[in-house]
Amino acid sequence: MPETTAPPPPAPSRAVSRPVSEALLNEKWDRCLSNLLIKSTLGLGFGVVFSVLIFKRRAWPAFAGAGFGAGRAYEECNYSLKAAARDIKNQA
Amino acid sequence: MLRTSLRSVRALGSKPAAAAAGRQWQVAAARRAGVSQRSYANDPKPVVKPIVLPSSETLTSPSTPPPPPQETVASSTIEPKDAPLEPPAPGSPVAPIAEAEAPPPPPPPPPKKAGFFRRLRNYFLALTILGALGFGGGVWYSRINDNFHDFFTEYIPYGEQAVLYLEDMDFRKRFPNVARRQREPTEQVRIPAQSGASWRVADGGETGGRQSSAVQKTAASAVAAVKEAVKPKEPEPVVEAKKETAVLPKVESKADLAKDVKKPVPVPAAEEPPVPVAAATVPVVAAKKPFKAPEVNEPSRWPPASPIDPLAVPDATEPVVQDLARMLNDIITVINHDGANERYGSTIGKAKDELNKVGRKIKDIKAAVEKDAAKQVRARVDGFDKAANELVSRIEATLQAQEAQWRVEFEAEMERVRKSYDEKVQLIQQRERQISEEKLNNTLLEQAIALQRQFAGDVKKQVEQERDGRLGKLNDLAAAVADLEKLTTGWNDVVDANLRTQQLHVAVDAVRASLEDAAHPRPFIKELVALKEIASDDPVVDAAIASIHPSAYQRGISTPGELVDRFRRVATEVRKASLLPEDAGVASHASSYVLSKLLFKKQGLASGDDVESILTRTQTYLEEGDLDNAAREMNGLSGWAKTLSRDWLGEVRKVLEVQQALEVIQAEARLQSLKLE
Repeated sequence: MPETTAPPPPAPSRAVSRPVSEALLNEKWDRCLSNLLIKSTLGLGFGVVFSVLIFKRRAWPAFAGAGFGAGRAYEECNYSLKAAARDIKNQA
Repeated sequence: MLRTSLRSVRALGSKPAAAAAGRQWQVAAARRAGVSQRSYANDPKPVVKPIVLPSSETLTSPSTPPPPPQETVASSTIEPKDAPLEPPAPGSPVAPIAEAEAPPPPPPPPPKKAGFFRRLRNYFLALTILGALGFGGGVWYSRINDNFHDFFTEYIPYGEQAVLYLEDMDFRKRFPNVARRQREPTEQVRIPAQSGASWRVADGGETGGRQSSAVQKTAASAVAAVKEAVKPKEPEPVVEAKKETAVLPKVESKADLAKDVKKPVPVPAAEEPPVPVAAATVPVVAAKKPFKAPEVNEPSRWPPASPIDPLAVPDATEPVVQDLARMLNDIITVINHDGANERYGSTIGKAKDELNKVGRKIKDIKAAVEKDAAKQVRARVDGFDKAANELVSRIEATLQAQEAQWRVEFEAEMERVRKSYDEKVQLIQQRERQISEEKLNNTLLEQAIALQRQFAGDVKKQVEQERDGRLGKLNDLAAAVADLEKLTTGWNDVVDANLRTQQLHVAVDAVRASLEDAAHPRPFIKELVALKEIASDDPVVDAAIASIHPSAYQRGISTPGELVDRFRRVATEVRKASLLPEDAGVASHASSYVLSKLLFKKQGLASGDDVESILTRTQTYLEEGDLDNAAREMNGLSGWAKTLSRDWLGEVRKVLEVQQALEVIQAEARLQSLKLE
């Protein structure tokens, strides 16, 4: 009987903690995209603020900020993917 | 005053302060001088009066002033000499007031005037008297108190001499003689040799000896110079000298001298007899030796008449006779001295004869008594000898008798002892004999007992042997029965095993049915439990069940349809990552995702190790229903492709494990059923 009662708890935890193996890559892509969106928006915001305050409403500071944000997001995504690849190699 | 002067200075303002101060100093000095001239500033009146005297008689008091000036004048005129002496007296300033208040006391001043010399004289007088008294008192007290004496003699001039003189005086008063003697120490003191005074402390024995000697000498001297009688005058100066020297010896010498002085008179009378006796006894003693020669007698030379011969007793050994002879000799000497020889010569001669006779009689009596005594002694000695002889003979007889008796007794005793020993020996022999007999009996008894035991043992052995024979047959029978029972039980086992195998088959079929029936994965744990219970302790079944992953029977396993469906999803994902290089970044992932869409798809069992061909093969195997090969193919993937297909592989493995376990259990069940048959 204990064997029957024991299984339920691990099932949900696994669903939460570890996604199905075929969805691993997709999940990473989702994260990267959201990160890109957030970082680029933040950079754009800073750029706009700087352009208004300092650069007399020029456009380029806003683009530069967005670029900074996007670059940062890209770098993070790249890092996470490479770390995953390293883990796979270590496991193999 | 100072304030006023300051004020004035201020008023002047710019005037030099030194000048003003100098002026003021002058004024102050002048005033001070005036005050000092007046000598006593305590009383305001005298200070004011002399100054005011000439001008302001009317201002102050008209009545009082007149008298004092006269007084003061008078005093000043009269007492210029006394003034310096008297000033310290504090009464003087008061005195003038009193005088001023009461004019009548003019008499006091005259005594003062006249009394100065007198006072001086009185003062010195009193001083000397007091000094003398004090000195005298000191001297007197120093004689009483020693401490004060020391102090006085040390610190007061002439005190020591005075005290010494006083002490000397006192001493002289007490001992005038000593004082005299001390003044004349040059006089020589002579102590005559026979005075009795000696350097020794008085001793009872020695003084006595000295006295006797002195007495003898004085006696001799007295006998020689009784008629002279001049001696008493000589010792007197000696006595006086002694008085001065010492007290003790003086007294003794005094007593001695008194005796000496007194004795010479009575001694010749009282103590002469012993001397002649001694003289008389000497001739008597001397007369003993020559025995017949009375020529030695000195008194025989007396010139006036033939003196009476002193008695010479031939038998003077007896004390009584001696006494009588001495008495007679005394009488003879007296008679000789008196010169009455002729008168008493005959009577004395008779007396001599009588005395001789008495002596002779006594001698005779003595001889007779001695003879008697000798006889008695001889008789006694004879008697004693006889008695001794008798005693000796009697003792010997008794000794012999005793000896004989003892011998008899000894022999009797010996015999008795011998008998008693013989009896003892016999008794011991008897006892030993008895003991040996008893020992023999005991050994016999032991032998009998041992024989009996052996017999009993033999009997027992035989009986047991017989019994064992019968019992052995019975045991064989029991063993045969047990074998039969075993056989029956063995058949029972066979039947049971048969039943069990059948049940196992049923259980396995149930598990398989539950797996195949299910459209959805569901747990088949109940069926497995039943299977395990049926196949009780079957190692093969247990191992097979243990090989199944717990999650498989807890959640159930997915059906083949499900597996295929999931494979399709996995395959699309794997294809996306099929072109990824090692250590891929974002760019390579994106390119792989894009390029993978352009790849051609294969069909059937495509040959090749690339991801696409593996996936195609797996799909064909799956379509054929060969799960095992499909799993093998998928296991050949590597990198991202393998990671993505990991979960699907796990599922397939579980299913394969369950299938394998079930096949094993079925084979076991079949084997069991085959074994039984």
